[in-house]
Amino acid sequence: MFAYSIRRILTTIPLLLVALYLVYIGVSVTTDPLAEFRLCLPRCQEGYDRIVELYNLDQSVFVRPFGWAADAITGDFGTSNVAGQPVSTVLWERGINSAMIAIPAFLLAAVLALLLSVYSARRQYSAGDYVLTGLSFFGIAFPAFVLGLVLQVIFAIKLPEWTGWKLFYTGGKRTDNIGEIIGTVTLPVVTLATLFVAADSRFGRAAMLEVINSDFIRTARAKGLSERRVIWRHALRNALIPLVTLWALNFSALLGGSVITESVFSWPGLGQILIPALQRPDLDMVMGIVIFTAIITVVFNLLADLLYGVLDPRIRYD
Amino acid sequence: MNAPGAALLEVDGLNVGFKTSDGLVRAVTDVSFRIDPGEVLAVVGESGSGKSVTALALMKLHPRSAVISGTAMFDGVDLLALGDADMRAVRGNSIAMVFQDPMTALNPVFTVGFQISEAVLAHNDVTKKAAWARTVELLDLVGVPEPRQRASQYPHEFSGGMRQRAMIAMAISNDPKLLIADEPTTALDVTVQAQVMEVLREVRKETGAAMMLITHDLGLVAGAADRVQVMYASRLFEAGAIDDIFYDSRNPYTRALLGSIPQVDSERTERLLAIPGNPPSLLNPSPGCPFMPRCSERVERCTEELPTLLEIRGREHRSRCHLAQELAPISEVLP
Repeated sequence: MFAYSIRRILTTIPLLLVALYLVYIGVSVTTDPLAEFRLCLPRCQEGYDRIVELYNLDQSVFVRPFGWAADAITGDFGTSNVAGQPVSTVLWERGINSAMIAIPAFLLAAVLALLLSVYSARRQYSAGDYVLTGLSFFGIAFPAFVLGLVLQVIFAIKLPEWTGWKLFYTGGKRTDNIGEIIGTVTLPVVTLATLFVAADSRFGRAAMLEVINSDFIRTARAKGLSERRVIWRHALRNALIPLVTLWALNFSALLGGSVITESVFSWPGLGQILIPALQRPDLDMVMGIVIFTAIITVVFNLLADLLYGVLDPRIRYD
Repeated sequence: MNAPGAALLEVDGLNVGFKTSDGLVRAVTDVSFRIDPGEVLAVVGESGSGKSVTALALMKLHPRSAVISGTAMFDGVDLLALGDADMRAVRGNSIAMVFQDPMTALNPVFTVGFQISEAVLAHNDVTKKAAWARTVELLDLVGVPEPRQRASQYPHEFSGGMRQRAMIAMAISNDPKLLIADEPTTALDVTVQAQVMEVLREVRKETGAAMMLITHDLGLVAGAADRVQVMYASRLFEAGAIDDIFYDSRNPYTRALLGSIPQVDSERTERLLAIPGNPPSLLNPSPGCPFMPRCSERVERCTEELPTLLEIRGREHRSRCHLAQELAPISEVLP
């Protein structure tokens, strides 16, 4: 399994390099960091030269990514001009902020999706199943910015007006007071979790249904096992196998920062800084976020594959 | 306990229907039969004749959409009237089942030993260690070599025949009084089929269990069963002692089935007999005999009137055919 992991990591390196190269070129050719300076030339020749120097703009666009890569290998990801800090510092601080809403949202979504999948699969075509199906399509179709705003209005603005309880906040990260942080994080977590629960419970229902109707579940019942053991032990272990891939993708997507949800809640995560970094353009920041999310995606996909081997004894890594 | 001579299982007027968008599909219609302690009853019929559904209904493992009526007295209690908890106490305990396809009947993510010991633990107040010891003993009994090592292997590490042996070990783990084997050899190679039938015979000798052997293979029945009942289009068509069915069948359908068994010593040039046509739809059955369109003996009456199960010469031999008493001796019909 160790050798397999190493091999998997090594095979993703060329993929990662090609992706980074293309993103660098893509951002470079679609934006012009010299735009502002061109207007004021020759008055601001000094600033113009500094930007040329900073991004190696005197070189071909196909060569420039190599300069960035040479620095990146030594751990120097450049400086973000949006944040005015080294990219690595920004990634670390904002990455933690993103994780603060990503991890609870992921856990909440995973547990809820699992419970709803089991419920829907066991009571296929019941009224409850239809209601959940309807709600999940609603959840899938509902954009994050609408759901986020609705939650803000109801829980952060109207609730204190009606009851005088200030439990939730519309967003921002103000204090280090733990209660206030929970109050701030709750609404974005619920927003993100809702979107994932809606999609995952559909998938989980299908996975669970396939297992519940299989022969070995009938065998388990024929042995006289309790229904609880049949479902939560025999069926769930099998239904988890396809769900693990989905969760790995979800979790890496969440950790990379959610652009819309973080923006709606003014939450200083990675997603929130991506848009200004792209507009500016803050090339080093964009590259930093891309490499960060790429590595996370690779790592979690690897974890998912290793988890398969634990869940399904038919899979061997060698 | 049963009085001497009493049946182990007495099914009376069993009906199983499935609600579909097109109406009620009758999978089992008015089926009555008995199984005595220790005997082997073979249930024979084509796919869709209702034989598996009958067995699943007795275990209450049928799909939720099924509508069931009738009684099934087993050891003094009506299985069909039992609640979920009481039924669970019966399943895998006094009635156990062996399924058709051993490749899919075992859970792929648990070891074979775990799955057998679960059956032991479900009905006995023993430690896991004792259950494991019993599991190894059972695997040895059904002829799995090196049972100690094999117990901790997963189903995909077992061959088809070995898996079916493991299924049988699971089924006999609580010394059932009745073993329901639903096409236990259909999914296996011919050589392995014989081995599995031999294992079933031996474990029955060991435990004294009665067996309901569901199959479409009359060749299998000949060597294994005491009594046979033939099902067609959800109904019983003929039932009787094995010799009565094989040598004195009073039903054109049974005779057609017997005629379609390939004979080793027959001439190569002879065509294998097949029954022409297909079984009828079980939705809105027509009033006559369901086998009429395919029957070589049909008369006017067969289109209008469903024959009843007639008792033949006072023996425990019943046949659903208007001509049951008049059919020519079987030796003149079959080669």
